[in-house]
Formats: sequence, C-alpha cells, structure tokens
Amino acid sequence: MTLGPIDYLIIALYFVFVLGIGWLLKRRVATSEDFLTSGRSVPVWITSLAFVATNLGAQEMIGMSASGAKYGMMTTHFYWLGAIPAMLFVGVFMMPFYYGSRARSVPEYLKLRFDEKTRTFNAASFAVMTVFSSGISMYALGLLFQLALGWSFTASVLLSAVIVLIYTYLGGLTSAIYNEVLQFFLIVLGSAPLAILAVAKAGGWQGMAARLPDVMSHAWKYSGSSSANPLGVEVFGLVAGLGFVLSFGYWCTNFLVVQRALAANSMSAARRTPLIAAFPKMFIPFIVIVPGIAAMALMQMGVGYTLPVKDGSYNYNLALTTLMQQFYPSGLLGVGLTALMASFMSGMAGNVTAFNTVWTYDIYQGHIRKGAPDSHYLWVGRMSTIAAVALSIGAAYLAQLYNNIMDLLQLVFGFVNAPLFATFLLGMFWKRATGHGAFSGLLAGTTAATLTHGLTLAEGKGAWLGQLHEFPSTMAQNFWIAIFAWTTCFVVSVLVSLLTQPRPQAELRNLVWGVTEMPRSEGAPWYERPGTLAVVVAVICIALNIWFW
Amino acid sequence: MDDLRASSGLFFTLLGLVLCGLGVFAPQTRAPLTTVNVNLYTGIAMLVFGGVMLWLAWRRRAQ
Repeated sequence: MTLGPIDYLIIALYFVFVLGIGWLLKRRVATSEDFLTSGRSVPVWITSLAFVATNLGAQEMIGMSASGAKYGMMTTHFYWLGAIPAMLFVGVFMMPFYYGSRARSVPEYLKLRFDEKTRTFNAASFAVMTVFSSGISMYALGLLFQLALGWSFTASVLLSAVIVLIYTYLGGLTSAIYNEVLQFFLIVLGSAPLAILAVAKAGGWQGMAARLPDVMSHAWKYSGSSSANPLGVEVFGLVAGLGFVLSFGYWCTNFLVVQRALAANSMSAARRTPLIAAFPKMFIPFIVIVPGIAAMALMQMGVGYTLPVKDGSYNYNLALTTLMQQFYPSGLLGVGLTALMASFMSGMAGNVTAFNTVWTYDIYQGHIRKGAPDSHYLWVGRMSTIAAVALSIGAAYLAQLYNNIMDLLQLVFGFVNAPLFATFLLGMFWKRATGHGAFSGLLAGTTAATLTHGLTLAEGKGAWLGQLHEFPSTMAQNFWIAIFAWTTCFVVSVLVSLLTQPRPQAELRNLVWGVTEMPRSEGAPWYERPGTLAVVVAVICIALNIWFW
Repeated sequence: MDDLRASSGLFFTLLGLVLCGLGVFAPQTRAPLTTVNVNLYTGIAMLVFGGVMLWLAWRRRAQ
C-alpha cells in the first residue's frame, strides 16, 4: 500500500485535532474527579457515542470484518444478541444503582455493596486486564502499520502511545471521551463508503448471497445444530453463553464502558447513555461485518480481488485493509487508514482512562494512602496515566515476542470475567446477598471456568487435566465455560449468602433493588424516557434479526 | 471551541474540502476496483456533516 502526500496530510490533520481537543479541555481539570470521572458533567449525546466508540477498538474493526469473511452473517450475533439486550438491561435496570450510589468506579460499587475483598479482587484483575488490552491494541496497530505502510513496529507503537498519552494526560477522561466521539464519526464516515462500494461491486446483497454458501447470509437459520454452521455452536450455547453470560458480563460490569455512562451529567442521561448507544451499535455490523462478506463474494467473481494466504488458509484479518486498497483512491485511503488508527487509539485511551481511575480510587486510595488531599489524588491520577501508557507499551512488546503469553492471559481474564455478572445481578437485585457470598461465588466461578477449560477439548485447545468432552469449536468451548462459571458463581453466592450475616437494610439504600427509589421519567418526552427508548431499540433489533434470520 | 460540535464540525469541513479538492482537481485518481469518483462523493458527505455540526454549534452559541 502506498500513501501519497495528501494521505499524510489527512493523518496529520487528524493528529492536530486530537491533540487540540486535549489542550482545550485541559482547563476543565481542577480536581481528581474532573480528571478521572469528568466530574459527571458530559452531555448525553457525547457519552452515548463514546460508549459505542470505546468498544470500537482494534479487535472490533479488524476482528469483526475477519469474522464476517469467515463466518458470514452469524457474526452479527456479537451485536444483535451479544450486545443490544445487555445494553438495554444496564441502562434500564442497573444504572440507577451505579449512578445513584455515587460510586466512582465499578469496583467501588462492589465495595459499597459488599466489602473490601470483593472490590480489591475485581479492581486488581481489571487493572491488569486493561493494561494488556491496551497493549494488544497497540500491538495490532504496530503490525498493521508495519504491513500496510512499511513503518517500523517501534515507530508506530511509540507514535500512537505518545499521542494517546498527551491527550489523556491533558484532559483526562473528558478528553478521552471527546476524542472517542470524533473517532466514532471518523470511523463511520471513513468506513461506510467502503461497505457501499464493496457491496455494490459484489452485486448488492442479492448478488453476494447468490455467490456464497447460504449459511453466509443468515444469522439464525443454521444455528439449530453445531455441525450445520461454521461457528460450531448450537442455539442454546449461543443464547445462554454469548447472549446472556458473556454479553451481560461485558456490557453491564466492565468499567471500561460503564465509566462512559457514569460521566453523564444526570441520572436520566446516565440511564439513556447505553440506550442511545444501542442505536448506532445495531448498525455497525453493516460497516464492519458486511464488507468482510462482500470480500468473499468478490473473490468468487474473479475481478482481481483476493485475500492473502497465510499458512495454507486465508488471512482473514487483512480483509478490511485489502478492501481499502482496492476501493479507496489516494485521499480517501488516508481517511480510511486514519479511521483505523482512530479505532486503535480509542481502544487504547479507553483502557488507559479506566485503569487510572481504578488504580487511583480503588487501589491507591483504598489500600496505599487514604485521606490525602484531593490534589494528591489528581497527581496520582496523572502519574498513573503515564504508567498505564508505559505498561501498555511493555505489553505490546510482550505480545510481539510471545504470542502465546497473550493467548494465555486472555484465557485467564476470561475465567475471571465469566462469573462476574452473577455477582452484580445478586448484588443489585437481592438484598440478602452478602460480601462473603459474593467473594466466594467469584472464586468458585473462576475455578469452575478453569476446570471446564482443563477438562474439555476444542480444536486441540484445553483438556490439560484430562478430557471429558470435546467441543466442535473453541467458540462453543468459550460459551460453555462462561455458562458453567456463571452458574457456579450464582449458586455458591446464594448458598454462602444464606449462611452468613446480611447487612442491615438501611445500609443498602441506593445500592439494591427494593430499598432504592427508582428514578421516574413520567412527563418527559418519549425520547427522554429510558423505558420507551429501550422498547424502540428492542423492536428495531428484533426486526433486524428477522430480516437476516 | 471546546464545544465538541464546533471542533468536529471544523475537522470534517476541512477533511471534506481536501477530499472535494482532490475529486475536482484530480478526478482521475481511482482505486483499482471502482470507476466512481469516490473522493468527491465522500468529500461532499463530509462537508455536509461538518456544516451541520458547525451550524449546531453556532446555534447553541447564539442561544
């Protein structure tokens, strides 16, 4: 891929704006809460778009177009099944407790609701995870730029790290959020033309569907049995594993996304953040998954497009960039690459700003130094921003040197995350749940996840304790690990809670359903009522599922 | 300028101008698989988007 001067001009223009936004927002930062939580002052349209954009990172853009090319429309389950229902749930049912408790982070909610050990377990695993996620984003960016532009790995990693560091250091969370919105616009406007051009060239939706196996153009039709579809999952594993445990675990308990809603300027805005975000989220498959499918159709047509081959099979990860090469002339190519870069940086910045908050409030203020003046915590917040970026660079190099370590780490985080939603569900909706119950449930759930992986085999992975069962695909294995972990955590939390002393109800105000006054929205116009918005989203989402069933 | 409407409006207006400029003055710039003047059309879309954002920012400031 060769870039002209005009492409470099576009990349440079984008960097100027990114840094400029950080610079302009610098004067809004006076306290640690301004820096780490935006002082709960951001308008709802901004938090909503940031809510989508922070998740629209490297793994999403490259990975989802690759999955589109590999699996077809079944990939949309990661959106219409694996995101939208959970986004509606967190907005309508969970946000009253997150926002109403005035917790500054998700782990802090666990501290208020349960106890210190549950909070620390969650904070520590989350902090490590964000550093590695951000490192993986950086690593992917480095690889892409090496491959596409011929820049060295070190140069592209350092350049993106320095830019992310400058704008998050200057303006904190507000700057990260504002930039995420700019990145979101750029990703949409820079990728939509590709989807339109590729689909048109491939003969429209009908033309694509006719050229490919039928399973590529359907989301549900082949989900009855795991042998009928390329994902190797059946409908129960899909709905319970992806649609319930993994999806709710991510969208409802991951501080990375919840933090965006907590930055909103009112309870109503916080609740509407995930709901408004669901509108663009539903349509992102059309700009990331559909081009991947179009790529496969184009290969069938013999128009000169072909995916590069690696180790005897197609390198699906290059679907997006090779399409850009074929459809974007100099100029728009610069825009397309800038959009990709933006998605990597938003993934990185989201992790950095989530890390510094959890580190400052949950680990440093919770364990290392309590009761210092706020200016001290602001300083710690800034320093941990620098530390997060430095650690991410380290993680990026670690990923480059030892690919297996990254696979292992992601596996371990999967074990830790899978049971989490059971803890929050019980914490928010069952007054009787206790700290001991929550903590032992989390440990038991994590153990159950580890055991499931150790005792089952899929595509040659797992079964390091002996083999009891074989799954048709690692995806099916992941879904079932999540189901077992969630169920174990739920059951153990309930049992231990019943055996231990509950907290007095008066202490649970604003933390638990039944002792919290739920916010009311009567009298507001329909688009400001969470319930109504959720119904509108649900109807559109169901219609999309039926349309592409 | 720390209104996000203004900064993103300005960004996309500039980007739109660059792309439209390319589309008008170098209309032969084509990618291998398409005969459409992609730069021009995307540029127009960005100009419209940027313009709307700037208008929203201006309206808010006027209030």
